[in-house]
Amino acid sequence: MRFEYASRIYAAGHRPAVDRLSLEIADGELCVLVGPSGSGKSTALRMLAGLEPVDGGKIYIGERDVTDLAPKRRDIAMVFQSYALYPHMTVAQNLGFALRVKRMPRDEVKRRVEEAARLLELEPFLKRRPRALSGGQRQRVAMGRAIVREPQVFCMDEPLSNLDAKLRVSTRTQIASLQRRLGVTTVYVTHDQVEAMTMGDRVAVLHEGVLQQVDRPLDIYDRPCNVFVAGFMGSPAMNLLPGRRVTDGLEVLGSVVPVPRELGAPGTSGAVTAGVRPEGLQLDDPGRPGTIPATVEFVEELGSDGFVYGTVEGGQRITIRSPGRRHPSIGSQVGVRLDPAQLHVFDGESGERL
Amino acid sequence: MSGVLPTLDDLPGPVTEPRKIRRPFAGSALFIAMIVIGVVMLYPFYFMIDTSLRSESSFLNGGGHSLDSWRALDSTLPWGQQLINSTIVCLLSIGIILVCSSMAGFAFAKLRYPGASGVFVAIIAAILIPVQSIVIPAYVDIAHWHLLTSYTGAVLMYSAIGTPFATFLMTVYYRSLPDEVLEAGVIDGLSYPMIFLRIALPMSVPALATIFVLQFIQIWDDLLIGLLFLQNTSERTITVGLGALAAGRTTDIPVLMAGSLVSALPAIVVFLIFQRFLVNGLTAGIGR
Repeated sequence: MRFEYASRIYAAGHRPAVDRLSLEIADGELCVLVGPSGSGKSTALRMLAGLEPVDGGKIYIGERDVTDLAPKRRDIAMVFQSYALYPHMTVAQNLGFALRVKRMPRDEVKRRVEEAARLLELEPFLKRRPRALSGGQRQRVAMGRAIVREPQVFCMDEPLSNLDAKLRVSTRTQIASLQRRLGVTTVYVTHDQVEAMTMGDRVAVLHEGVLQQVDRPLDIYDRPCNVFVAGFMGSPAMNLLPGRRVTDGLEVLGSVVPVPRELGAPGTSGAVTAGVRPEGLQLDDPGRPGTIPATVEFVEELGSDGFVYGTVEGGQRITIRSPGRRHPSIGSQVGVRLDPAQLHVFDGESGERL
Repeated sequence: MSGVLPTLDDLPGPVTEPRKIRRPFAGSALFIAMIVIGVVMLYPFYFMIDTSLRSESSFLNGGGHSLDSWRALDSTLPWGQQLINSTIVCLLSIGIILVCSSMAGFAFAKLRYPGASGVFVAIIAAILIPVQSIVIPAYVDIAHWHLLTSYTGAVLMYSAIGTPFATFLMTVYYRSLPDEVLEAGVIDGLSYPMIFLRIALPMSVPALATIFVLQFIQIWDDLLIGLLFLQNTSERTITVGLGALAAGRTTDIPVLMAGSLVSALPAIVVFLIFQRFLVNGLTAGIGR
């Protein structure tokens, strides 16, 4: 399926909620739309589902132009954030409702409902009402309601955000593996960049209605196309530091870092933003040549490793990954070494990757 | 032993059950208040029952109990037919109110169309109009349409009076329904009328029950509309019948009390059956 310059404008004169979105998603692919709230990711999904009109551009499912089709003619199924189960129906009735609306024969409905229930381990609950289910079970009913329809596209709108942290992690892998098994093209919306990284075949990052980058998760992590994507993907976030081009490299945090020739084009001396992930910085003894002096403000221990939050001269805050368990104490002075190979350089004005 | 170390007795024992906070005064004060309120509430019923079991002379001059008044009631008031009339008028009116208010409430709460808020305010404003101020013009209108000699006129009046508040209640209730459930219906292939019928309406049963019981009590107990708009004696409701009993030169209080009991019982039964919906319905939508 694909979006072709699809736009949604809520009020004339305002910034479009979704601005000329073009995105092609292959058959059977799980594509994650990710972005902060207000980025237009949910609106884009609702446009695909037909719950939101398309003010410009086209949306295709397969080769069919569905831009102006009613939701029921689009052959899609949707999993809502709140699950949106029908409270007055049993689990079985919830699962089979769409099929009964389509006037599918009874035994076929029964077969599909039972199959989905088996797949999602919902068999013991088929006669219960949603209010007698736990959060995780309700989530699975919402998934099942989409599965029984055997649609061309699944639309999932933050389906895990109402689950507690632990259940969210296990359900995340269940959904991803289920999707691979069923092979149904899936558009998955989330604001959680960890979900995006772990679940998606590809990830599309949106910001203020504009698509920023579409790529495989690791490619986005390794080569973010601009400052926004760099800062949004990855946890803790990438350090974004003001820098300046000088003749023999890049001046960052008061020291000059050698960078490949094409980045620090000689003769230019414009402002840049230098990005380096916490693992691109290493702790060293204070005062070593080639290190940047910093003061440790806070240490986050995760067991296998830790993150050191510090400030350098001028008040710039930085995050450093510190492997193992031996971390500097709060208030101590450390030296920070920057790995030039892990440096991302962005234009200081446009924020685009250089 | 008196020393620096606390003895075993000084230490707090293991906590085996949460300690009850004892406030004997607060407890008994509440209890007494509840008894007082209970007596105030129940005394009219006691008075009605006691009085209805006396003849007029024993009520006025003191004396024993008898079933004289009940026999007198049975011979003077066609109470069976009047109960049926009340039931018919009530059910027809409530039926119209439920149909109109649920559809209007859904439209106000969930559909976007120009002028929606203006129409809504106009309907809510209708709640503020006292019935007494419009009843005479309405009487003239309905007389023109020759509807005073059937149930129709009264049913129309009750429906018109009851619908605005019912619409308000249904609107508030439907606003509390999450949009996503209705959108799930859209995705599942339902048209808007079918979303209303198959999803929204079944979900609003508590609100419908609330309206049913509130309107039932109101219409059942009403005298004014019935008195004016039910001109045939055979179509009179029970309250109108009781009104006629009291309108004579002398009023037989015990007979009137017996009639009042007959008329109050159905409303009490309806209330008791539906009261749990009533509480749910009035508080629905406050929390998740």
